Amino acid sequence: MQAADEERKGLSKVASVVGVGHTDWHTDYRAQRAGEKATLDSVGLGALAFVRALEDSGLKRDDIDGLIVGPTTPYERMGEVLGLDVRWGGQADAMLAVIQACMAIKSGLAEVVALVYGNAQRSQKVNYGGTNAAGGASFLSYVYHAPWGFTSQGALYALMFRRYMEETGLKPEELGQVAVAQRAAASLNPEAVMQKPITIEDYLTSAFVCEPLHLFDYCLINDGGVALIICEAERARSLRPDPVVIHGVGRYDLNSGATSLEPRLTEYYLPAQQKVARQVFDMAGVGPQDISSAQIYDSFSCHIPLALEGYGYCPPGGAGKFLAEGQHALGGTLPVNTSGGHLSESYMQGWGHQIEAVRQVRGTCGKRQVPDCNFVHYSSDVAGKAVSIIYGR
Amino acid sequence: MDLDGFINPEPVVQPENQPFWDATKEDRFLVKWCNVCERAHWYPRARCPFCFSDDTAFREASGEGTIYAFAPMRRTAAPYILAYVTLAEGPTMMTNIVNARPEELTTGQPVRVAFVPTSGEYKVPVFTPT
Repeated sequence: MQAADEERKGLSKVASVVGVGHTDWHTDYRAQRAGEKATLDSVGLGALAFVRALEDSGLKRDDIDGLIVGPTTPYERMGEVLGLDVRWGGQADAMLAVIQACMAIKSGLAEVVALVYGNAQRSQKVNYGGTNAAGGASFLSYVYHAPWGFTSQGALYALMFRRYMEETGLKPEELGQVAVAQRAAASLNPEAVMQKPITIEDYLTSAFVCEPLHLFDYCLINDGGVALIICEAERARSLRPDPVVIHGVGRYDLNSGATSLEPRLTEYYLPAQQKVARQVFDMAGVGPQDISSAQIYDSFSCHIPLALEGYGYCPPGGAGKFLAEGQHALGGTLPVNTSGGHLSESYMQGWGHQIEAVRQVRGTCGKRQVPDCNFVHYSSDVAGKAVSIIYGR
Repeated sequence: MDLDGFINPEPVVQPENQPFWDATKEDRFLVKWCNVCERAHWYPRARCPFCFSDDTAFREASGEGTIYAFAPMRRTAAPYILAYVTLAEGPTMMTNIVNARPEELTTGQPVRVAFVPTSGEYKVPVFTPT
């Protein structure tokens, strides 16, 4: 019976985050805007974040026996620059990297895993739009998008959200509360790239990029790196008094229709998020009412209302009211993207959200700290994949 | 919003969609059907996404549809209207709405296929309000 219970808990409390680090994205962004040349490439940014995460953990480089490298930099080159010979490794995006680290630790393939991401996307002028947007012809169905000028993820979310707004009655000024609240949070975050508060009037009068999405609905593009050190849970407790425990993970992929964008355009990921909600809350043994803060992948602001509905923080179609009431803002019932997120802190493709979750649970977020922060829920819904992680004490 | 400057990029033609793009040169709009489950799908491919049969064939489509969603792309040198149109045959496809102003469009509005040149040898099917 006990064995069955153990099994059901999956990856719960197998591993903890013992170190986090990131580069100086605010300073670097300002320097580049002032015309200074970048001094680090993607690998160098990742390496700097790693050094800081390692220092934060109190571990030595020799203690690391697993390595996961984020996309944009090859695993082999990052591993070489970090000087890490390891017994287990891999390449994954932020959310899958955390899950893979837990799997490696649970299976005994590794005990202390470094997760490293660097992206010199601004200085290298990485183009997320244009004819090669979203993978170009390598995602076959994009062959059926590019000829009509569908050349950016923003266009996808604009189409999707137009339909969503018509179906649910969500108003532009309600969506705008996402960007306003995240900028307000960023104004309390000295590391954030954008710290000047905006009003709902600023939002509503800003230019449309792809209507109905305004400039403030889009993520930033900036250079940076992020790293985490994830350690087997027992050992983590011996390292520091406040390891941040991974309480649950979940994933569901809507691959049918994925490259024709159907899961996003017609169902808003809802079926996938509802399946992930069951997995992740069951594994963690908590429910939406226990979550103190949510960190939601926000390449565009409209991810937030969809995740709020998908994970049961409000009923389907109820996100407009939730946002209008400011429940997602600091001081609300579920502060979301308390660092400013991709819209205002730094576009680190989900990596920054992981370390913000860790810092909120540690209670080290200063003026933007969520009081009594016991559990933080991370959610992303990218390319048909819905993923969740619950961090806690 | 001046909608006249946009030129559709040339499609990438591949073995499984060659007949579709060839037909555009004659202003013919083909949709791929499954001969087993008798359902149309988009995008055209060799194997039916519903019943997994490889017994599929192109058929002439009605060219009728309705707007599922639309989004005017404004922050660009040559603006245009992106849309997702649900075809009378069932599938929903990415396309453009032409010969219309964004403020005149609504979700659910009936539209009909038209063909416009691209930067290359093929045309692309777009839709216009009926």
